[in-house]
Amino acid sequence: MQIFVILSIPVLLALAALFIKKQKVYGVANSLGYLVVLSEAILLFRNIVLSGSLKLCGNFIYLDVLSVFFIFVISVVAFAAALYSIGYINKDIHKGMVSEKKAKVYYVLFNLFCFSMLFVPALNNLGMLWAAIEMTTLISAFLVGFYNSKESVEAAWKYIIICSAGIILALLGTILFSYAFSISGLSKSLNWSDMVPVAHILDKNILKIAFIFVLVGYGTKAGLAPMHTWLPDAHSQAVAPISALLSGVLLKTAIYAILRFGIIVIKGVGFAYFAHLMTLLGLVSLVISCGFILVQKDLKRLLAYSSIEHVGIIVIGFGLGSPLAIAGAAMHVLNHAVAKSIMFFGAGNIVSAYKKHNMNAIRGVIEAMPFTGVMVLMGVFALTGFVPFAIFVSEILIVISAFTNGSYLTAALLLLFLSVIFGAFIYHFGKMLFGNLPKAMAITGEPLSGKLAFLFLFSLTLALGIVFPFIKKDILWIAQKLLPV
Amino acid sequence: MREVILFGVLITTYLMVIAKRVPALIRSFRYQSFFIFLATLFTGFAEKQVDLCFIALLILLLKVLIIPRVLSQVAKKISVDQGLGLFVNAQLSLLVAFILTYLSWIFSGALGFSRDYRLAAITVAFSVILIGAFLMVSRMKAFTQVTGLLVMENGVFLFASFVSGGMPFFVEIAIFLDVFVSVIIMGLFVYRINKLFTHIDVNKLSRLKG
Repeated sequence: MQIFVILSIPVLLALAALFIKKQKVYGVANSLGYLVVLSEAILLFRNIVLSGSLKLCGNFIYLDVLSVFFIFVISVVAFAAALYSIGYINKDIHKGMVSEKKAKVYYVLFNLFCFSMLFVPALNNLGMLWAAIEMTTLISAFLVGFYNSKESVEAAWKYIIICSAGIILALLGTILFSYAFSISGLSKSLNWSDMVPVAHILDKNILKIAFIFVLVGYGTKAGLAPMHTWLPDAHSQAVAPISALLSGVLLKTAIYAILRFGIIVIKGVGFAYFAHLMTLLGLVSLVISCGFILVQKDLKRLLAYSSIEHVGIIVIGFGLGSPLAIAGAAMHVLNHAVAKSIMFFGAGNIVSAYKKHNMNAIRGVIEAMPFTGVMVLMGVFALTGFVPFAIFVSEILIVISAFTNGSYLTAALLLLFLSVIFGAFIYHFGKMLFGNLPKAMAITGEPLSGKLAFLFLFSLTLALGIVFPFIKKDILWIAQKLLPV
Repeated sequence: MREVILFGVLITTYLMVIAKRVPALIRSFRYQSFFIFLATLFTGFAEKQVDLCFIALLILLLKVLIIPRVLSQVAKKISVDQGLGLFVNAQLSLLVAFILTYLSWIFSGALGFSRDYRLAAITVAFSVILIGAFLMVSRMKAFTQVTGLLVMENGVFLFASFVSGGMPFFVEIAIFLDVFVSVIIMGLFVYRINKLFTHIDVNKLSRLKG
């Protein structure tokens, strides 16, 4: 029953945003709401892991370990973003960048966006899944174009057009899946739970073609290169808490969709086909993002390209397919969401203090904003996979399983690009954090809610990294249920 | 009957390719949607499914009546010139469209369908999708991007109704809702672009790079 609580809270909060006058009061209520969502998601995760999958509302909602895991990841980032929004939106109102009325619009859209994302993993029907993912695009386009500047409207336009065009291909893929299902002489249905048990008797050729369409379509939304072109624009122009949501979890909902179809393809066609396509796209994403990270000048675009890199790593992890790799990839979904949110929140604070995106103009962040500076420094280490943090664990799991699978080329390329990107991040952020403070800059503090969001995410990524060796067996056990290969 | 409908869809698609002005584009889109409506209605009668007939009426309402009207309203409100801004001229575009149709014929043959109406339906559906994508990239005005998307969607709908006998009812409704909302939202963004940039030439939207 937790799923209904999880889904209804964002809707109620969206309605409440229309009626509660005081911005700060609403902000606090909003974060409390998402705290409830988070705790319910944890409970749901525990229940499903222990008791197996669940169907509700006449097959409309289907929950298994895969879907509740993604719901959990979404609620983590949504809670952090809700906390961070309080201070961020308040600051924007004080600066006169947004009016009180527009702040209300922001909160309504924020909640609808979170609702649509939480809805995606709960759906059983693959056609409804498509509709829900298209809905996330349509709602978040407004949040990308929120400031109504030339740049942000351009970014929103590119985002909505490229993602809609991509997702039409995914719809075609979905229809091909249903066609494969209908010519096998079974009754017409698009329910995932109906398709998986009979996957092995479906027409192999059609499944193969269908999966390519799905991969290209949802891959556009997931930001896989070479379909990633909307991503740096949208992520760099969105409101900072929304950037965190876009990069942290919106991309992952598309990956979730790919995995859902992937499971049918693995059962119907065989694992090798799935693995080759996933690894190929993952490696292309790594190569392309690595190049752009090296020469990047814009702070938020740097982080956006880093999202493409991490999505590539996740896809490679799922493509390798051993239980260890799947555990690594699934953990990476969570770890990247957490670490990237720290970075986008930090970037939001930096950009609003320096009023610039250009990294060459940003110097001495640690001096100007000690708390944000330290958090961003830690975030850089967390994001690039430094030792005590969780991303190190997930990346090393993926690399180890690449070696044990015998895909030495993949492993070597992974290590190469990870180290190059590590160097590039240290280079870019070293200059920004430690350089000389520009003369006109005043030393500023951060609002309490923002600090709490940072601390929550930071302790999560640190704790996961440290605790992992002790709970390794449990995580592997859960990972085996995640993707039944 | 099926062949006539498929022929109609293909011809209206070619009409869109050679259209040089916004009203002509929207008009041809309306004709194409009408043939998609006929296709769905025909399948609904042939397979005796009430669902599909209802969906067909929805297509008639949304894609033939409402969406073209919304589009031409937006076009009227934005008093920029009505040209589409062709990167590729009409004759060459038509040639590209023919080539795309030929390619989709080869592709659907390779899929291994039997040589009945399905092969033709898949060929037409794929070429409509490809030509929609071609329209999106080869025209300057933001309008054509929206129309190109709708054309791609029409291709997918044709595929769904002729080849796989339609999708489950609620899925179709949800997809329609999405299509409708997306047209409205894209229309809003065309307004905003026009207001901020005083033009809707997407090739000039080049502030974000790298």
